[in-house]
Amino acid sequence: MVSAPREVALAARGVRKVFRTYERQKGWRGVLGNFVRRDWQDIVALDGIDLAVRRGERVGLIGANGAGKTTLVKVLTGIVPATSGEATLLGRSSFDLGDAEKRRLALVMGQKSQLWWDLPPLDSFRLLKEVYGIPTREFEARVAEFSAMLTVEDKLGIQLRQLSLGQRMKMELIGAFLHAPEIVFLDEPTIGLDLVSRETIREFLVRLGRERGITMVLTSHDMEDIEDTCERLVILDKGRVLYDGELVELARRVSGKRAVEVHVAPQHALDEARLAEAIAAHGAELAGRTALALTVLVPAEQLTPLMRVLFEIVPVRDLSVERQPLELLVKELYRGGAIPTAAANPSSTTFPSPDHGPEEPTPEEPAP
Amino acid sequence: MTASQDPARRTFWPLLRQATAYELRKQVAFRVGFVVRELGHGLVEPLVMLCVFWALYRSAGEGAVLRGWTFPELVQYVAGLLVVRKAMFHNRALDLSTQIFEGRVTKYLVMPMDYFVLAVARFTQYTLLQLGIGALTWTIGALVAPEHWLFPVSFGACAGALTLLLLGSWCCFLVYYILNALAFWLDVVWSLLVMVWFVISFAGGALLPVSQMPPVVFRVLEYGFPYWTISAPIEVLMGRLAAADVARGLAILAVTAALLEAVRRVVWRRGLARYGGAGM
Repeated sequence: MVSAPREVALAARGVRKVFRTYERQKGWRGVLGNFVRRDWQDIVALDGIDLAVRRGERVGLIGANGAGKTTLVKVLTGIVPATSGEATLLGRSSFDLGDAEKRRLALVMGQKSQLWWDLPPLDSFRLLKEVYGIPTREFEARVAEFSAMLTVEDKLGIQLRQLSLGQRMKMELIGAFLHAPEIVFLDEPTIGLDLVSRETIREFLVRLGRERGITMVLTSHDMEDIEDTCERLVILDKGRVLYDGELVELARRVSGKRAVEVHVAPQHALDEARLAEAIAAHGAELAGRTALALTVLVPAEQLTPLMRVLFEIVPVRDLSVERQPLELLVKELYRGGAIPTAAANPSSTTFPSPDHGPEEPTPEEPAP
Repeated sequence: MTASQDPARRTFWPLLRQATAYELRKQVAFRVGFVVRELGHGLVEPLVMLCVFWALYRSAGEGAVLRGWTFPELVQYVAGLLVVRKAMFHNRALDLSTQIFEGRVTKYLVMPMDYFVLAVARFTQYTLLQLGIGALTWTIGALVAPEHWLFPVSFGACAGALTLLLLGSWCCFLVYYILNALAFWLDVVWSLLVMVWFVISFAGGALLPVSQMPPVVFRVLEYGFPYWTISAPIEVLMGRLAAADVARGLAILAVTAALLEAVRRVVWRRGLARYGGAGM
């Protein structure tokens, strides 16, 4: 029996966000010039984003700096309006969310504190209790449970400013999950944290996400965050969706390749033409090249024949073979590498941009 | 749905109470800052005024009456100013523009509440604290220099003056809220706040009683909320203004507050559409 598709929790259809800024001229003449006349420039942060996240999905949002991850989060949560297109959350326009929708939403910003800086976290939690109207018994139970999960039970009464970065982030997470949100946006929640703290936070997110069916959208530069926490990956580049699909599918594609790093003796000249020919003949590609080493990505089944040829034409000093890490692929994608379109998740829901014509809403999608 | 069933209304009062308590705790958490900002605030200007008026009246001769005011009356006015200026909302108590510039408003925008509640909590905390300090200042003055001090002519005058002061202070708060919200458009707001604070102080009679100013100036300023916030409450306490004047003042303040509230809502709504959520 095929299970019914889950309801769409949040969606973006042809979302475009343009920020307007002016170019500041250099020097005193520039300052005076700017005072009289400003050359306004449009910066396109999001350029026709189509995305739909179903209830209970945990989606990792990655991209290089300036790719538009945070802007997309801001638009989806209604912090900033989209310039054009439509962003909806729980069936309602994101920029027009009512208190009922906001009660079901949480946002964790790794670079901004949601809690009150001058207060101990427990006092901030009490303020949040009033904001969200959390019943006292539930409030106390959740504070106790979450602080134990994140091992910060003894830090609840200490002023927030006196806590370490990791402890603060754990408190932020407790504050965000206190009102049992259905959708949680996490914008770089592990930024600057040590390995142990990152591990604890990931475990916390995975456990809550699984046990309570929370929809999560996580942005991070750390691929481990995404791999450990999410099941779906969306890669943004220059304000566009570069890839949208299941993480396991991407990992499967990646696991079919091997990264071969060959260290060569510097005094020997390479037969470049023969090397290029051998690489091409085995369906491989040169992924990196320095004076002393070269990295070749090769399909797993071609590894042995290629190695044999490499030993013939390259004066090998040292050699290592490993599975292509997911991170390497993502880096490749950032640099403008080809997108493995076949890897895109067929079950993921993406909407065509308005240019492609209107689309009827799916039956499970609530009317806006 | 009745008011008591409305979840938003149910949230407002407990949140206001909790946020006000938080603001009070924050104020007293830093002892030196508390003494300098909260106790010391508003003490210097009245003393300067006293010195200037003393010199003026001395040059005018013994028992001089300048535009309806004798020197002992002006001393009482200055005593009143010490209390009124403390309780009147000051722009330093609202850091909304900084919160907008630094993107600290962001966290409140995804919460099921109106950010304004937190600003009202700031106003409530400020007023409660400063009324307490103002009462303490008045008590000390009454004990130290009872012959020169301002004693309310009646309980009714005291109630009328307090109502004028609180409603006028609310108008000040709304003005500063609107100016702070201009940070959605402008790069710098603090200089505007300082300028407006000075204008309100002058137009309200913080430098000299408004009724002592040239008649044409007085006729203009008596329709503004600053006069009914600073000068008028003191004159009510002194018995120079009657109950009918208080009623007129309250009407002017109520209309002003309603207009400012409408402007505040428009500015906030339009400002949010321009918000960039910096620093996230």
